[in-house]
Amino acid sequence: MKFIVSNTALLQNLQLINGVISTNTVLPILEDFLFVIEDSKLSIYATDLETSMSTSLEIEAKENGRVAIPARILLETCKNLPDQPLTISIDENNYAIEITTENGKYKLAGENGDEFPRIPVAEDVKKVSIPGSTLQRAISYTLFAVSNDELRAAMTGVYVELGTDGVIFVATDAHKLVKYKRTDVQAEQNASFILPKKALNLLKASLPEDEQVKISYNTSNAFFSFGKVSLICRLIDSKYPDYNNVIPTENPNKLTLTKKDFQNSLKRIAIYANKTTHQVILRITGSELQVSAQDLDFSNEANEKLNCLYEGEDLEIGFNAKFLIEMMNVIDSKEVKIDMSSPTRAGLLFPTEHDDNEDITMLVMPVMLSA
Amino acid sequence: MRLPSPERAILHLDLDTFFVSVERLHDSRLQGKPIMIGGKGDRGVVASCSYEARSFGVHSGMPMRLARRLCPQALLISGDMESYSKYSHLVTDIIAGSAPLFEKASIDEFYLDLSGMDRFFGTLKWATELRQKIISESGLPISFGLSAAKMVSKVATGEAKPNGQLHIPFGHETKFLDPLPIRKIPMIGKKTGQLLCNMGVDRVKMLRQIPLELLERLLGKAGVLLWKRARGIDSSPVIPYFEAKSISTERTFEQDTIDVQRLQSTLIGMTEKTAFRLREQKKLTACISVKIRYSNFDTFSRQIKIPYTANDNILIRHALDLFKQLYDRRLLVRLVGLRFSHLVHGHYQIDLFDDRCEEIRLYQAMDQMRRKYGKTMVMRAVAIDSDKQRKALNSSEKTSSCIP
Repeated sequence: MKFIVSNTALLQNLQLINGVISTNTVLPILEDFLFVIEDSKLSIYATDLETSMSTSLEIEAKENGRVAIPARILLETCKNLPDQPLTISIDENNYAIEITTENGKYKLAGENGDEFPRIPVAEDVKKVSIPGSTLQRAISYTLFAVSNDELRAAMTGVYVELGTDGVIFVATDAHKLVKYKRTDVQAEQNASFILPKKALNLLKASLPEDEQVKISYNTSNAFFSFGKVSLICRLIDSKYPDYNNVIPTENPNKLTLTKKDFQNSLKRIAIYANKTTHQVILRITGSELQVSAQDLDFSNEANEKLNCLYEGEDLEIGFNAKFLIEMMNVIDSKEVKIDMSSPTRAGLLFPTEHDDNEDITMLVMPVMLSA
Repeated sequence: MRLPSPERAILHLDLDTFFVSVERLHDSRLQGKPIMIGGKGDRGVVASCSYEARSFGVHSGMPMRLARRLCPQALLISGDMESYSKYSHLVTDIIAGSAPLFEKASIDEFYLDLSGMDRFFGTLKWATELRQKIISESGLPISFGLSAAKMVSKVATGEAKPNGQLHIPFGHETKFLDPLPIRKIPMIGKKTGQLLCNMGVDRVKMLRQIPLELLERLLGKAGVLLWKRARGIDSSPVIPYFEAKSISTERTFEQDTIDVQRLQSTLIGMTEKTAFRLREQKKLTACISVKIRYSNFDTFSRQIKIPYTANDNILIRHALDLFKQLYDRRLLVRLVGLRFSHLVHGHYQIDLFDDRCEEIRLYQAMDQMRRKYGKTMVMRAVAIDSDKQRKALNSSEKTSSCIP
């Protein structure tokens, strides 16, 4: 088997899907790309058994065939070669691979393509279509709030709730929560699933801005396709917690701040907070917000005062500064509104301006200051 | 390393038979009588005893059973830790008011660094005045040793007791230490003492004459330290403040038990109390460990790393889990212990799904009651049982903050 492919084109395609491959795999063949050639079309696959990605490109080839090629070596070779056509020939008896270039010849050992794990195919699926930029925005709003706690599997992914009146994306780690709703995307029927973090990270890196993303899903997998790329991920098979129930509805204390000021203040104050707990205290009296932190182990202490708009009674509430900063980082409005009820109940954050078709709610749990 | 120099002046203060002195302050009839303070049960040990009792061979740390046999006429007092720590604070306050730098080594022991003060006051005169001040303001007898090294001062205090003072001027350390029995040197305990004794070393002078290489081969690193100590060399500084690295508690049962339910409720009660201490110090723990000792003294412990917390529910759940993993023999249990380590300053991060608002408020209210009316004012019903049993049977409980 022999084919000719442009180095640049190959490299671009490999880099699109390379993120799937994890460094320490159970099966050695998972460190390979699967190359499948059918009628002068090369399809490249990569998988970690949970998530798979594929892409395709036109090449010059006389025969069909398949082979698994070690990903790292191939990628490094392509990266370090100038643009030129590569001739890749494979010995079908022992899967020895030879790459011939203007610079020289490179040999490496491939593996039998038939041994590469089967990539799930879309069977019995329902479909929905979302603009790439919308999905991109939904992912960047929610991804940071996803949990790393393996014991709470459901929370290690983003919950997607499709409905005829819109789509809701939810992420939480039990300390913070984000609910991102789009009303301009409609599904044909109500459905919900949990997408794993890795797949979302990969999507975030490869999603096109101006193309529609076709999503199909069944009970075990979700299939994303855009352009030549497709991504398939196994859904997290777990029950998502009832998030609506924990969002407090009565929040009489309303604080409005300039986002940039609050964000910068938090970043400075956090330097002086304890390095493990990152706890800061917000004290609101009248129209003044006092942000403070201390690290008793190092005698570090910081205190700042900010102007704000405030309706409600005086309040002292403690938060993990990291959570607040992460939220400020994704919010892109000028001002931010924080609704609170008591020092032991969740604070709700909203951007004051947003797209007409979106609805963003962020929630952060306080720390229990001793009374 | 700082070598001992005439510049350094370290004062060691130690309250004489502290617990006994406090009891005598409360009840003057106890003056001049043999007194022993400690657990009254069979498993109790002597925490403190008066000089009158010591003349019968009683010493602190001795099993109460043996002590009672040696001195049957002694008065037994179970002790009141609260009152002792109150007096300890009183003395600490007096010292803090006058000393530039001090270390509270234990409830009744203090180290003060007086280096440089002789330029103005004369360290001995200053120390004598401080001692008089403590005696007159607290009414408690106190002794001190003054020298250029921590260890020498401590030994000197031991020699000055009861109710005395001793100054070892720089350069006179060996003259002071030489005639003393080797056991007077801190760090020579039963084992090392026995080992040296078997070699025929009984006085510090002889210890001092052993070459460094021999001591090192015999005792390793401790040998080098011992070689220095025999010469009165101790460069360790006075450290004003220790941050606790862990907090722990353990309970020895009056009678070994196999009652799993009782063991568990004891553990729950211990967790509750220790978690309260944690919250009072505004700390969170990330590592919890449980220890059990079977009646044959086989001791096992297990620990688990958890996300930072100070929440009773979570801690109790983990403590019980660990206990279940640990308790795998059908044997009587003598002791259970609990330790929180990997401590960090901070407040408990409330969980969105596991914690209900009412629960958080309940915990806050319970902590407020404990602060106002005492640690055992409110507790879980399962733990009450064990606490009553404990009081009835008077088993001994030891609580400690471990310092590095």
